[in-house]
Amino acid sequence: MSETLRARLYHVVLWIVSLIFFSPVAWIILSSFKTRSDILATPPKLIFTPTLDNYVDLFVNNRGFLLQLGNSIILSVTAVVIAVFVSFLAAFCFSRFKPKGTDFLMFLLLSIRMLPGPAVILPVYLMYVAFGWKDNHLAMILFYAMFSIPFSVWILKGFLDGVSTRFDETGRVNGGSWLHIIFRVVLPQVKPGLIAAFIFNIIFVWNEFLFNFIIGGVSTQNIPYALAVGAYSDGGLNWTFISALTSIYILPPVLFIYFFQKYLLVGMTFGTVRGEV
Amino acid sequence: MASSPGQSAFKDNRRVIIFALLAPVLAFFIVFNTIPTLWLLGLSFHKFSLLSGMPPEFFGFRNFQDIFRNRNGIWGDLGRTFTFVGVGVLVQTTLGILLGFLFWGSKDMPGRRLALTLLFTPMVLTPVATGTFFRFIYDPTFGVLNALVGWMSPTGTIDFLGNPQIAFWAVLAVDCWMWTPFMTLMTLAALGSVPKAELEAAEIDRLSWPKRVSLVIWHHGKFILMLGILLRTIDSFKTLDLIIPMTKGGPGQTTRLVAVELNKQSFESFNMGWSSAYSVLLLLISIAMTSMFIFILNRRRKGR
Repeated sequence: MSETLRARLYHVVLWIVSLIFFSPVAWIILSSFKTRSDILATPPKLIFTPTLDNYVDLFVNNRGFLLQLGNSIILSVTAVVIAVFVSFLAAFCFSRFKPKGTDFLMFLLLSIRMLPGPAVILPVYLMYVAFGWKDNHLAMILFYAMFSIPFSVWILKGFLDGVSTRFDETGRVNGGSWLHIIFRVVLPQVKPGLIAAFIFNIIFVWNEFLFNFIIGGVSTQNIPYALAVGAYSDGGLNWTFISALTSIYILPPVLFIYFFQKYLLVGMTFGTVRGEV
Repeated sequence: MASSPGQSAFKDNRRVIIFALLAPVLAFFIVFNTIPTLWLLGLSFHKFSLLSGMPPEFFGFRNFQDIFRNRNGIWGDLGRTFTFVGVGVLVQTTLGILLGFLFWGSKDMPGRRLALTLLFTPMVLTPVATGTFFRFIYDPTFGVLNALVGWMSPTGTIDFLGNPQIAFWAVLAVDCWMWTPFMTLMTLAALGSVPKAELEAAEIDRLSWPKRVSLVIWHHGKFILMLGILLRTIDSFKTLDLIIPMTKGGPGQTTRLVAVELNKQSFESFNMGWSSAYSVLLLLISIAMTSMFIFILNRRRKGR
């Protein structure tokens, strides 16, 4: 009896900790259902009549919103699909053939992801300005793909190393072409790696602001861009706009980590630590 | 066994396959990384501003000298950055480990998945959105935090992001809120890597808790934990998105970290030569950190 009580208490404590970490987010979501005067009330109101006006406003009256949301989706999905595909080929090569310089290339790939954003984007910006590629969807997608490659290669190489070469050999002996082996024999076995690479790169590109701001422009702007640039109206910060936009925007990443929680660890560590928590 | 002509055909074939598999990634890298990086290296020795409209002019090491000699230059930024990284990572690691131990053995908790999602939410949020809404929470007139502080000690409102003495710590607190869950995650992974049999043996031997941690858990978990700390160090060195919406490096320069300064010089002042030199310096630092990361990773592999 006292044993179950202790377990209950323990779980209650854990829930409270989780809720404390979530509370700032909860406050923003709550605020998105408030009217303008309720948001700016002092002291802040916990009890109020909820309204959907902010969301209606966003979808109906804010012309930029659908463009930005569309851009966010198109940029992240296309870039990551390209990145995961080419990374899978490269990771297969690194894992199976181990060409000279594999370690160096893996190092080089990783080091870009370790560099502060402005240092990465500065030369690319000069290049894009010189070639007139700024504010172009394809140019943005290719850059994001490049930036998603290191992570994908690392994560997929880890998974491919775990697939026994016996499968390749059997395939070869039975007369399968390399294409057959790569896509029919090996690919299905690293599905978890593909999912993890896909999800965590998407979260990254989805959340990315600086690159979009610097090498993008009016036609390629995504939601973080809108948040940073368009948050001001009527001389002050437009909190109703911010809270509604933020609440919608953070939904996909949160859903991702709920449904793909077993990939969270591998996703947050470049594929270097595996397992579930 | 294949005959020798077959083998050599396989070898040629092999080279073609390697090239074909690597080509797309290499192409991406040469176009979007190698060429730009070489360009950056070259520019760092030139005087070049996008505003003046003049072509780049060879400058020798003058950009580097400017960076180090300037009174408000790199030392202040580096100092703030390393304080930010050092204090931040220390707090996140300590809290993360505590929470990790707390959540250890919660496998049969009702709604565990949802609770963990709520706990891990901060680290997958859009940093720009986080920064913006923390500005709302920190706001001196209608922010919720001031209302909470006001309840406890009604000494007047605190301008968290406007007060030069507090702003840095207020920003750091948000960073800690975002990334403590990451260290919790790493701690849980480290604890998960400890074999159950050894833990049971330690329990049977009635080892004291400090001994259990130092003899059993530390031995298995140390590399994962160290990787976590290193990843966090590297990531927090890059912090930028979070600061732009909150303070833009102000008030004064109190929250101006290296990435913030580089961003300002390159994309607000368009001082490209100077910024290239600054980027080269940051590149060296990040290469050093990447090497450390790989070093620890290799030790872990050998340690097994």
